[in-house]
Amino acid sequence: MRKNVIYLLACQLCKDAFRSKVMNIALGLMVFLLLFAAYSGWENYHDQNHTRNLVQEEVQKSWENNPDKHPHRMSHYGSFALRIKHVLSIFDLGIENFVGNAVFLEAHKQNTVNFSEASMSTGLLRFGEVSLAMLLRVIIPLLIFYLGYATVARERENGTLKLLIGQGITRREIVFGKWLGLYSLSLIFLSVIFFTLLLFVLFAAHDDMNSERLLRYTLLILSYLLFFAILCTSTILVSAFSKTAKGALIKLLGIWLLFVIILPKSLQAIGYYLYPTPSKIEIETAVEHDLILKGDSHNPDDPHFKALKDSVLLANNVTKVEDLPFNYSGFIMAQGEAMSTKIYLEHQDHLYQVYRKQNNLERLSAFINPYTAIKNWSMAYSGTDFQSFLHFKAEAEAYRYKLAQTMNQLQMDFIPNKGKAGPKIISNTHWKEFPPFEYRFLSVAKVLRNETISLIALLAWSLLSFVGLLSTSSNLKAI
Amino acid sequence: MYYLLFKSFVRTKIFLVSLVLLLTVGLISILIGKHYLIKQEKTIVTAQKFQEERIERNLEYHSDDLGLLLYYLRFTLIKAPTTFSAISIGQSDINPLLQAVTIRALEGQKYDTDFENPSLLMSGNLDLGFVIIYLFPLVLIAMTFNLYSEEKELGTWKIVAAQTVGKTRFLLKKLLVRILFVLVILIFLLFLASVILQIPVDNTFIAICIQSILYLSFWSALCLWIISRKKDSSFNALILISIWVVLTILAPAIVNNYVLNAYQVPEALNAMVAQRDGYHEKWDLKKNATMTGFLEAYPQYKKYPVPEDKFSWIWYYGMQHMGDLESKDISIKMKEKMMMRASVSKKVALFIPTIHTQLIFNSLAGTDMESHLKFLDALTEFHENLRLSFYTKIFEDNSADTIDWKNHGAKFYHPKRHFDWGYLILPTLLISLIIGTLGLFNLRKI
Repeated sequence: MRKNVIYLLACQLCKDAFRSKVMNIALGLMVFLLLFAAYSGWENYHDQNHTRNLVQEEVQKSWENNPDKHPHRMSHYGSFALRIKHVLSIFDLGIENFVGNAVFLEAHKQNTVNFSEASMSTGLLRFGEVSLAMLLRVIIPLLIFYLGYATVARERENGTLKLLIGQGITRREIVFGKWLGLYSLSLIFLSVIFFTLLLFVLFAAHDDMNSERLLRYTLLILSYLLFFAILCTSTILVSAFSKTAKGALIKLLGIWLLFVIILPKSLQAIGYYLYPTPSKIEIETAVEHDLILKGDSHNPDDPHFKALKDSVLLANNVTKVEDLPFNYSGFIMAQGEAMSTKIYLEHQDHLYQVYRKQNNLERLSAFINPYTAIKNWSMAYSGTDFQSFLHFKAEAEAYRYKLAQTMNQLQMDFIPNKGKAGPKIISNTHWKEFPPFEYRFLSVAKVLRNETISLIALLAWSLLSFVGLLSTSSNLKAI
Repeated sequence: MYYLLFKSFVRTKIFLVSLVLLLTVGLISILIGKHYLIKQEKTIVTAQKFQEERIERNLEYHSDDLGLLLYYLRFTLIKAPTTFSAISIGQSDINPLLQAVTIRALEGQKYDTDFENPSLLMSGNLDLGFVIIYLFPLVLIAMTFNLYSEEKELGTWKIVAAQTVGKTRFLLKKLLVRILFVLVILIFLLFLASVILQIPVDNTFIAICIQSILYLSFWSALCLWIISRKKDSSFNALILISIWVVLTILAPAIVNNYVLNAYQVPEALNAMVAQRDGYHEKWDLKKNATMTGFLEAYPQYKKYPVPEDKFSWIWYYGMQHMGDLESKDISIKMKEKMMMRASVSKKVALFIPTIHTQLIFNSLAGTDMESHLKFLDALTEFHENLRLSFYTKIFEDNSADTIDWKNHGAKFYHPKRHFDWGYLILPTLLISLIIGTLGLFNLRKI
């Protein structure tokens, strides 16, 4: 293959593209969409994080300003965890607006994460959202198909393909030249979007993890470079093996509809159909049921708590709980909290397992649909996938548990047992010592582990495309 | 003539493909709707049982202290499900079907969500509404984009032109055969849904049918207009798909992004904190900081004593209610913002048939945001009635036996259903007529 020939063919394709009316209209539209997506993504990120940070600070302040009181009152006073957005959510909204943003953390109870944007939205949300990633994944592929469907097919229809070959240009050179031209065109869009994004990543982020952000950003660029290469290969191959340009266009449009719109949604729906999930009330019933089986703290004759009491008395060499060297009800609450949390988390894990099964159908389809691979990869590295949300939830729950247990410990240490003399309240310095909730994003390595399937699928597709381009180009029919 | 046109249409590849595609996906969507209804029913049964068992168990331990008993008990209000929601699941997978609340402050319980897989929420439900709004237009496009251009490209147009008197008529008949075919499938699927999902054939069902037919007329008119411009097949396919992308993906998404950003709801978070603080800080204040506000709202409880130096239930439930009272203003603001979102979306929808159809489907099925807000209003009322019915008994230290617990099963809220035929029909009808007329006008000169 001669480089200069390929280069010449690629240049020709680009020049032709810029001469066409479709390209001009598309470019105008793209500029508008890009500006809109970038601005609304940034506005959303900035405003939401601003509000949430303010509320989180306010919550911390009011926590610290509580007067001296009984520690158990503080564990009911509780705290809130607010979900902070990753700066890359400007790029890919993912499930961002479908998961809750704030959760009330109190003793004895795991509250739901509430106030998702979806719960405050009209039915419009179901049409989807505009984000930079959505443009790259949904709209620009369509544009590439528009620009590339005729590349080889029309040359054949017009008879110019025969002329090219007659002039000594090999079939492989033609195919690679066309591919390079189309890929360069697609890189224009890619680079504009990623350049815009870089500005946000560098200058608009609300966190201080510069290197982590840049690493995520780089991984995103690399993956989209691969995705676009796959996309251009498919376009050229379809064009090369269609009799007419019209046939190529219809095939490509069909592929787009099937892979981008119909398949992902249908598979997700089928997953939902195959693996039914319980509703919240069913889980709550099950949790309560398990809890009572294990030990019912409300029941004075409960065997579990009775045994616990006996062993504590024995260990401390006393006959009455009042004589224990620590506050007994604080101790019981700590035990109860540990038990109920464990049972709740077991049920929750089970629920998430079912969600994973539901999602796996669509996730695994990455091997037949590169769109799915890039979608999941991109959401994960933008911090807007399901795993990122679960990570927030787990951190919030861990904080809640720590809060409740710290207060129980304070009660055990400082509050006298029933009937004994001593203060019923403790100093508010204890609240000030309890650290505020701080959310850390998932590490890049963890995300990689979550998205191994997407990565393998993406690499497999890239390899397949390259091989496809190489092996099939020699079979190109001239007429 | 029609018979021949139909026969030639049946022989095309696209006929079989669209028939199979629409029927399969249509059937799947109906089954998904059924699945959804079954899940709802199961939830309701569980909720009813849960409430009964909980009351029974807590009665065992706390029947001597009504205040404490009612601290634990939860009472369920269920939004009575309708089978229509299976056609357009709308927002009802995000907004909970029921809410089980204690008589403590409501604000902190009102917005609790149900569990649902967020990935599913994002990809959206494959309900019949989706099939109608997304897939039917695609099939129409696929069947009509080359109606004229293909004949021209294959060279058959000259023969047709020579053999028929009315060329325009010929084209229109050819188009009509295809449109009717799609409409027949649509009606078939709707009636299949009505049988499988046991949907009553009433006004609401008829409204859904009419809206669907109007929506497809809009797309038919659009196809007619594009065909009438007499461009080649590739161009038609390109332009029609682009319009489809703009109407079903880009325009709604842009409106959605705009609405979310223009009407942000920080009030949601503020109300949540205000409610907690409004209640909790009262523990550290004098009793009258609670009682003044509470008794102002409910002067009928003035006669009950509130000891300053010890705990009393009237004070406790007063504090809880203060949480609601102090977050009330901000909570109202939040609701107003949400209503704004709805009304702006509705206004934009007048000009974009895809959005209009989706919103109409949701509102007819009772799965839109407004219907959920009405449920929340009903929940507030339900909560107040519960509180007031229990307050006197708690404050008078009555025992738990004075209450007939049999009457406290889960309750149903039955949403009122009303719609405006003009709002439903006119926007899509007018847009279809305008575009259709443009198309016909172009075709005259063929």
